[in-house]
Amino acid sequence: MMPSLEIITPKNLNDALNLLSSKEKDIHIIAGGTDVVPGLNQESNRFKDIRLLIDINRIAEVKGIKTDKEKISIGAAETFSDVLQNETIEKKFPLLWKAVSTIGSVQIRNRATIAGNFVNNAPCADTVPVLLVYNATIEIESQSSKREIGLNDFLSAPYKTKLNADEIVTRINIPIPSNEFAGDFYKLGRRRAVAISRITLALLMKSNDRIIDEIRIASGAVTPIGTRFFDLEKFAKGKKADDEFMKELSGKLGEQIIQVTGLRWSSEYKLPVVQQMFYQLLKGIER
Amino acid sequence: MNKEFSVVGTKVIREDGVDKVTGHAKFADDYKFDGMLHSVMLRISEAHAKINSIDFSEIENNQSLFSIITSADIPGAKKVGMIKNDQPIFCDEKVVTPGDVLAMLVGESEYELRTLLKKIKVDYTPLPILNDPKKSLDKDAILIHPETGTNLICHHPLRKGDLEKGFAESDDILEQTYTTQLIEHGYIEPEAVIAIPLGSSQGVKVIGSIQNPFTTRRFVANVLDLPLSKVRIVQAHLGGSFGGKDDTMCVLSARAAVAAMKTNRPVKIRYTREESILESYKRHPYILNYKIGYAKNGKIKAMKIDILADGGAYVSMSPFVTWRTVVQATGPYEIENVHTDVRAVYTNNPYTGAMRGFGSPQPIFAQESLMDEIAARLHITPDEIRRINGLKVGSITATGQTLKDHEVNLVRVLDVACGNTDFITKWKKNKNEKTHIAALDFKSPVLKESQFIKPGNLIKKGIGLAVSFRGCSLGAEGVDAASAYLSIQNDGSVYLDCGLAENGQGLRTTYSIIASEVLGITTDKIIYLELDTGITSDGGPTVASRGTIMGGGAVKKAAEILLERLEKFVKDEFKLGEDDFVSFRENLVFSRRKGLISKFPEVCKLAFLKGVSLASIGWYKSPNVHWDEKFGQGDAYFTYVYGCQVAEVSVNIATGEVYIDKVTAVHDPGKVINRLGAEGQVYGGVTQGAGYGIFEEVTTDKGFIRELNFDTYTIPTSKDIDEIKPIFIEGKDSYGPWGGKSLGEPTLELTAAAISNAVSNALGKRFFNLPLNLEEVLLSKKLRPADTKRGSLL
Amino acid sequence: MIEIKFILNKKHVSAKIESNIRLIDLLRDKFNLTGTKEGCGVGECGACTVLMNGRAVNSCLVLAAQADESDIVTIEGISNGDVLNPLQKNFLSHGAVQCGFCTPGMVLSASALLDQNPNPSEEEIKESIAGNLCRCTGYKQIIDAVKETAKELNQK
Repeated sequence: MMPSLEIITPKNLNDALNLLSSKEKDIHIIAGGTDVVPGLNQESNRFKDIRLLIDINRIAEVKGIKTDKEKISIGAAETFSDVLQNETIEKKFPLLWKAVSTIGSVQIRNRATIAGNFVNNAPCADTVPVLLVYNATIEIESQSSKREIGLNDFLSAPYKTKLNADEIVTRINIPIPSNEFAGDFYKLGRRRAVAISRITLALLMKSNDRIIDEIRIASGAVTPIGTRFFDLEKFAKGKKADDEFMKELSGKLGEQIIQVTGLRWSSEYKLPVVQQMFYQLLKGIER
Repeated sequence: MNKEFSVVGTKVIREDGVDKVTGHAKFADDYKFDGMLHSVMLRISEAHAKINSIDFSEIENNQSLFSIITSADIPGAKKVGMIKNDQPIFCDEKVVTPGDVLAMLVGESEYELRTLLKKIKVDYTPLPILNDPKKSLDKDAILIHPETGTNLICHHPLRKGDLEKGFAESDDILEQTYTTQLIEHGYIEPEAVIAIPLGSSQGVKVIGSIQNPFTTRRFVANVLDLPLSKVRIVQAHLGGSFGGKDDTMCVLSARAAVAAMKTNRPVKIRYTREESILESYKRHPYILNYKIGYAKNGKIKAMKIDILADGGAYVSMSPFVTWRTVVQATGPYEIENVHTDVRAVYTNNPYTGAMRGFGSPQPIFAQESLMDEIAARLHITPDEIRRINGLKVGSITATGQTLKDHEVNLVRVLDVACGNTDFITKWKKNKNEKTHIAALDFKSPVLKESQFIKPGNLIKKGIGLAVSFRGCSLGAEGVDAASAYLSIQNDGSVYLDCGLAENGQGLRTTYSIIASEVLGITTDKIIYLELDTGITSDGGPTVASRGTIMGGGAVKKAAEILLERLEKFVKDEFKLGEDDFVSFRENLVFSRRKGLISKFPEVCKLAFLKGVSLASIGWYKSPNVHWDEKFGQGDAYFTYVYGCQVAEVSVNIATGEVYIDKVTAVHDPGKVINRLGAEGQVYGGVTQGAGYGIFEEVTTDKGFIRELNFDTYTIPTSKDIDEIKPIFIEGKDSYGPWGGKSLGEPTLELTAAAISNAVSNALGKRFFNLPLNLEEVLLSKKLRPADTKRGSLL
Repeated sequence: MIEIKFILNKKHVSAKIESNIRLIDLLRDKFNLTGTKEGCGVGECGACTVLMNGRAVNSCLVLAAQADESDIVTIEGISNGDVLNPLQKNFLSHGAVQCGFCTPGMVLSASALLDQNPNPSEEEIKESIAGNLCRCTGYKQIIDAVKETAKELNQK
């Protein structure tokens, strides 16, 4: 049952920020609503105090996908379907395109937004590992300030981020990786469609004559939140990406996940599988 | 097109189809009435507790509240049940499972009522929780219903031949234990019902998503202490049931009816998905112990079977579900010496009852796994072992019944399935391709170099089969008869109605086809009436795949009565010779001598004007069956159907994912009446069976359900099964309309077993526990989170 | 209470609503368009699918207020009076309907697919209805009905 609340649909960013700066505790942003509406309807603890929703769908500043030579800038309220229809994303960010295409159903992708995915910050948020390896940054505005931070710094804990109560995420900026990067995204669910992720992996690698020049590794659903493995990336830099090393690196990913997550009820299954599938990813991008 | 038939066996569009594709078909929650009140249920978060008191004082004077409905408002029976009256309408003394409802609030706004729920103070004393059925019969086990003196719901023994002798004659003995899981019906429409008071002379009318209106009527009448004739049940379009909208809907209907009588207003109950999964009954989890003795030549000499079913907190249909199990537990094999015990017990788990398959998918998984294992030990193929032992005409079943009066097509469906899939070649090829799945050492979680799988070796193919026989209709469960009403109007249009209720599967279309075939009219002339217990006569429930064989039989009878009457009338009216022959085809009337003589509507008009009765009631009663409870011997069912399914799978050996590439389903349902409907039964049944096989599972923690919605309770989507191929072998039978028998349940019961055998073929290891989810395939065990918190399933 | 204006099944409509009601509640309760069904309330089953600005959405996940100024089509608006839409006809002739509870959502998802992609592959058809659960049919006859509709539309 939906609690009683108000909804306001501002036509520009300033109006929205004004509302937020009024510092009423119980304001929440809504865009696609695919998390917020069922959360409210099911009286979820996370949403139960909300008394005012701000619908950002009519705000031009948070819409649109813009491309220049260095980066792509995706409006926070762009839906997953919008992302899938963008040619630059399909060509230059194949991991993002692939991750988005596996999310939910057509109906969900037609409403759910890219920013909603990481602002909600569920452990299994499918775009998070991908955006992490693409070094995405996000633009955040409040009435008094404007900042841009890396997504990795923005995410703090499951369902928690560093977004202040008076702020709105306006855009996601992703630098276009050089053509030398190869990579892939992997998702495991309990069924072939509309599945909650059990494991997600994102991998980007640039190598020269099999010597790893740069590698970026991230996971989701096996760590409390989507996580980049910077130590592992450092370890791999300069190494020769032969079969033996790929196996070693995959094993080390397993060790890192235990360090981050600890052993859980699902570890007995997930740990070997994550190593196997990371190895498969590495083998898959071998040139 | 079939020469014998003009409509039967052809593709006929559903009679309710247009309403359903346009959104005009009214389901229960689509009904609204003037002055209608809504209702919400009061529950506590306990699986087992004694209720000391319920304090409504804080809400009693609230203006959102119209009335509080409790046990005290029930004029008649306070406890109900399909077989035993152990389920309270309102649990105001004790809660025995988390779905239990203590009381109900009614008022104008569902939303306001829900806020009031939180203000009710329930004082209760938690009781120890019994959630392991293996402990239910322990001496010190807490009794779920102390007044019964035991947690044993039922025990069906079966004794045939001499077990010791059979084992002594065996060259090898194999003993295994299997388990199957609790699952949810997963009808897409959650429960909804409206009760409307009709005044003291008429009683009450109930409209709802009700599987069996006559069963519901019995419950409601008992609870209201009214004669059956003062309770009218009208079935709304039913959004899926699969056996699941019976007890639950009877109880909800009774609650709504009590409230309607008390408030003198229409009262609606509608459930959210969470409430539906929480309170509705499910499929029984089984623990199955099998001991089989067999000779070197493959002949099975003896079988000892011990099965325990978790009945949950109420009896419901457990005695009948487990009775089908005892009849079919050996599988479709002729075995001289059989000793079977099937028991169902109480626990504090969600209660279990009827679900499509009804006590057959569980033993089929066990016995078909065993047959494959024996074949492997004897170095023969899976089809050979089944051919050696399979039932034939004249075979004697485990219950001592001689199979006769129908074609026993077990070996035939097996042969067709194997031939169609190139089974033996594929099975041998897959078996010989060794799987490099290294044993994983989970104590040191980092994989060794040798354990990594080469990308090309990730996917292994497997093929597996399963066969079954299934008794048609109710068998010795009870009286088995059905009725149909047919009334021809004086313009040749026809009303048809039957005491069996449409469950969405297309029963009404099948009946229209039968009436149309007999009367020689097109199906568009037939208007199917909505089932109203005030108009239709009781035809027994839509269960046990008895729709076609029983209801169809009754419709055929009703049509034949009118056909005979019309033939006689035409002969007289058109002054045809005694030796002439009248026939009705495509709305026209022919004489063998004179050719076309009239049209159906004209004949009907003339007959009406001459005072000929154009209405009839058809009655179809099954032949007698008998059963000896002590030894489990007798003619359990009057006829049987046979099926074989072959599953072809791809298994990802790194993740344990099972992809279902193809299921070939060969069934002998007798004569196929409704072609589109029959194919639809196969596609749907196989898909449900596949879900049961690879991922569906309701897990509980101390009686509490973890999977309360479709995000965590996953059922197959459009992408989960690549191909399903139905093949029908239309065996002859002396029963049913033109020998039309049963199909709904046979299509589901085999699939999980066939898939499990296919995965075994791929991986070279056996599986003993359904479902074959990711963890089971890889680790041969299930992993469970520690609690039931939402999100803990990730 | 707020007032919203939108196009519903090709007609301009307005409604005074509470802010907290969902689009499905608005359609079923205020406009009596009960062809839109609620099966789960969390966007998993697709029984409540409607078209919003030409795209299939779960009406249980959209607030009614968010439908302001939009174009909504429900199952009741998909046929042309008594003349069935080709998808509806093919659902009937292929036996794609059993209990019918998922059917409205299924037809609308398929309709959105064919509007955007008149010549879909079998995989694309399956993907387009993966968010519409059906427990009766096993999907096969539904997929065939969509395939046949695409074929017919392409022949025109």
